Amino acid sequence: MHVPFCATTCDFCAFYQTKPSADGIRRYLDAMKAEAALVSWTRAPGTVFWGGGTPGLLSPSALRELGSLVNALAPAGVEEWTVEMAPASVTEARLEALKEIGVTRISMGVQSFRPELLDALGRQHTREQVFRAYERVKEAGFKSVNLDLMFALPGQAEDEWLADIDQAVALAPDHISTYCLTFEEDTKLWVKLSKGQVKLDPEHEARLYAATWARLEEHGYGQYEVSNFARPGHACVHNVNTWRMREWVGLGPSAASQHGGWRGGNPADLERWQAEVARGERMTEDRVRLTPALLLEDAVIFGLRINAGIDLAELARRFPARGLADLRGALDRLVAEGLAEQQSAGAGRVRLTGRGRLLADAIGSELMGLIDAEPADAR
Amino acid sequence: MDVSLTRNFCIIAHVDHGKTTLSDRLLEHTRTVEMRVMTDQHLDAMDLEKERGITIKSHPVTMNYPSKSGTIYKLNLMDTPGHVDFSYEVSRSLAACEGALLLIDAAQGVEAQTVANYHLAAAQDLKIIPVINKIDLPSANLELCMKQLEDILTIPAEEAILASGKSGIGIEDILEAVVERIPPPRWSEYPQTRALVFDSLYDTYRGVITYARVFSGALKAGEQMLMMSSNQRSEIKEVGVFTPKMTKVASLGAGDVGYIVSTIKDPSEIKVGDTLTQHIKPAQEMLPGYKEVRPMVFCGLYPLESNDYEKLKAALGRLRLNDAAFVYQSESSVALGFGFRCGFLGLLHMEIIQERIRREHDVEIISTYPSVVYRVKVVGEAEEREVDNPINLPDPGTIDYISEPTIKAAIHIPNRCTGDILSLVMEKRGTVDHTDTLDDTRIMLTCVLPLNEILVDFNDRLKSITSGYGSMDYELGEYREADLVKMDILVNSDPVDAFASIVHREKAEGKGRQLCEKLADIIPPQMFKVAIQAAIGGKIIARDNVKEMRKDVTAKCYGGDISRKRKLLDKQKEGKKKMKMIGKVNIPPDAFIQVLKN
Ligand SMILES: Nc1nc2c(ncn2[C@@H]2O[C@H](COP(=O)(O)OP(=O)(O)OP(=O)(O)O)[C@@H](O)[C@H]2O)c(=O)[nH]1
Ligand code: SF4
Ligand SMILES: [Mg+2]
Repeated sequence: MHVPFCATTCDFCAFYQTKPSADGIRRYLDAMKAEAALVSWTRAPGTVFWGGGTPGLLSPSALRELGSLVNALAPAGVEEWTVEMAPASVTEARLEALKEIGVTRISMGVQSFRPELLDALGRQHTREQVFRAYERVKEAGFKSVNLDLMFALPGQAEDEWLADIDQAVALAPDHISTYCLTFEEDTKLWVKLSKGQVKLDPEHEARLYAATWARLEEHGYGQYEVSNFARPGHACVHNVNTWRMREWVGLGPSAASQHGGWRGGNPADLERWQAEVARGERMTEDRVRLTPALLLEDAVIFGLRINAGIDLAELARRFPARGLADLRGALDRLVAEGLAEQQSAGAGRVRLTGRGRLLADAIGSELMGLIDAEPADAR
Repeated sequence: MDVSLTRNFCIIAHVDHGKTTLSDRLLEHTRTVEMRVMTDQHLDAMDLEKERGITIKSHPVTMNYPSKSGTIYKLNLMDTPGHVDFSYEVSRSLAACEGALLLIDAAQGVEAQTVANYHLAAAQDLKIIPVINKIDLPSANLELCMKQLEDILTIPAEEAILASGKSGIGIEDILEAVVERIPPPRWSEYPQTRALVFDSLYDTYRGVITYARVFSGALKAGEQMLMMSSNQRSEIKEVGVFTPKMTKVASLGAGDVGYIVSTIKDPSEIKVGDTLTQHIKPAQEMLPGYKEVRPMVFCGLYPLESNDYEKLKAALGRLRLNDAAFVYQSESSVALGFGFRCGFLGLLHMEIIQERIRREHDVEIISTYPSVVYRVKVVGEAEEREVDNPINLPDPGTIDYISEPTIKAAIHIPNRCTGDILSLVMEKRGTVDHTDTLDDTRIMLTCVLPLNEILVDFNDRLKSITSGYGSMDYELGEYREADLVKMDILVNSDPVDAFASIVHREKAEGKGRQLCEKLADIIPPQMFKVAIQAAIGGKIIARDNVKEMRKDVTAKCYGGDISRKRKLLDKQKEGKKKMKMIGKVNIPPDAFIQVLKN
């Protein structure tokens, strides 16, 4: 569920978000209900993720209202329910509301503990606010807490970054996400990049990635995906499901769905999304029909980002596509070149090595288009 | 119009001495081009010319000049390129003129192509008007230029006009000299129509367009014309002049320079240097044509997408029409498939043609390593074989000897650089035949050098040793025996035919190392380990590794990012298609041009 409201816009942000207003939030909540009613649910959702924007910006009563929508869909409760929060908006009243509706996991966008870097990113919180917010979240007693951090920030030295990691680890969250700064088009940061005020340095980024993985491993946070680390039992089930090409329903502006045989997104605009929902439409953008071949290909490309890797035999059973020889050959070559490893001899399980994981995009594009696009016979 | 009121002249000089800039002032002074549409180096109409700031093609333009005496003259000007690779353009323009403005950069003095182009013009009996240009420069040395004029070119110094194309000095003097000193059009009394084809062009809408200088008679739309070399007839659909854009006129008469649109469809039917005449009243003798040029450098050009072969073939045909010095024939390569062996006058020429294929004809191409034409004597064969592609070199065991083309070079340098230039000539396996003093500060070395040694960086080295004051002109010389071997380049241990080259045995190791290093540098970082090796007859003499890709991964990749991510990967895949897969490695199409550049 996408909650598109932010008080201000961060310099690196390319998400769809807009300034909140009482009327805007009211109409948003109504449209969310209307959109949920458009979905042909075949079963109750197993996990929930509220992202944004800043879901934590909604008032306690709005949070309750949105929560009751979830609870109506999943009367028996869900396995995992994450809400993204910005440190500046963490209040006891909001936490209480979230606990009450059944949220199990809080994901807090810290980004950095260094004031000058927070400033440079255009973030609206201070280091002290982070500590205070974290304490409140801990006290409220959610099952799992995640902290988001960013690295390869302009002007950030390697030891400063490692100090940020240590600081986060000192708070002992259950989960840590570390994101290498990405320059997205249409962001303030992109403008700076194109003006040459900041520079890209892939070598430096590669070093930071490696240092991050080693440091978090040392502290007992196992990496389970390129940017995600967790203590045992705390990996985000919701995200793992998407990488495994299961189904999900996205509600809200710019939310993407993979459901009912289709993949597609909602318009990244509050007004247009509402208008569509009012017409009884959703998932109108980048709409593609799901085929076993497409799903298999994506399960490979996105599955390889996961440390556990993929089991080609299992995937082939789940998505019966034809013509896997080329794909197998390409995976074999990755293994031969040391970018991937075969987990046990002969079996179909393949995972990327550390070096391979740093090249997951290049590998993804190498693996694309190798499977016959034709869907397999439905017998 | 009275033929005696027409003047045909071209502007010739060493590269960068200001020909095109001076032409701008002539266009302005004669109001040929309106101020509001005037641009710098106006006649350099091709994008490539504008971008690089050099003239590649000769450009004709017709101007009307009211002289001081009150008579209005018709002036046909041709701006020519200065770079040695395009000297064939110059000689073709000269044949269509009676006079030439010979420009000398006041700060640089007489340079190698000043001398070469002067001789070309003199050989055609053209009236030469020396112009000392860029006199606005603080470093201008008029005295020295005058002395060089007399000493090197044997032109009386008092004939020189002082000018600056930049600040507009001397423009009127030049125009007056053109009408006063240059004779009216020659051979205008010949009883039948004769016109010299000096260039041509393919236009998508109008087909083949012929550029011609009419010597006698007239050409009009609706008439039948005859190409004398092939006796082929076609109907004239339109004639016009260059203002400098093509502008339709009723007819072209004696002395005129213009274009002809006719019913000729096939580019190969037009031959530059041919004489056009009227079908009903044909001339008996042809005008003196051009001597055929011999290309000096060859390389293979292949379409990146093999189904672009026909498109490339059409592109080459059309370019050849607009560039008589360029030749091609089909060939094939194991690594690259079907393509063409192409001949050029030099590396710049090669680079320009490749760029034009990409831009004007929208075909993505890849080129092989360039080669000169070797002569190979195989034991037991009577005749020498010509080899312009290293892969055609016979088995070394069967070779009696190989000889290579040399050039005869005239190298102008300041005295103080003599030692360094002599060692450069030695390093390039050259010999100095004799040394002439040009004046107090400059000498000229006459050298014989193997052509393949000067192709790559000779000129750049010459320029850097002499801080820009050295220059060179050359012509093809004799063939000379040399200890030459074929050097293979291996990508991940597989030899790639397109990369093979013929090198001197003693230089093989150094060249091999350099080539491996540069290729390794130019090939974008790869996911897999890629070794580049140089080998002679199976023996590895140098190696290097392509850089390994270190990081290419999206940080955030969640459910909502999947569609976007797929598009990104698709784009990456498209990007790779713009390169050629060789030995499992993507090679950028202009790899060799880049390798050859410093
Ligand atoms: N100071 C000064 N610079 C000039 C003058 N004429 C040309 N230049 C400069 O010299 C350079 C070469 O000028 P061009 O007119 O392109 O020379 P060109 O002889 O046509 O060059 P090619 O056609 O490539 O041989 C340019 O940077 C001009 O701006 C002049 O009279 N004075
Ligand atoms: S809080 Fe999140 S969604 Fe809002 S502007 Fe910042 S990064 Fe973007
Ligand atoms: Mg020019």
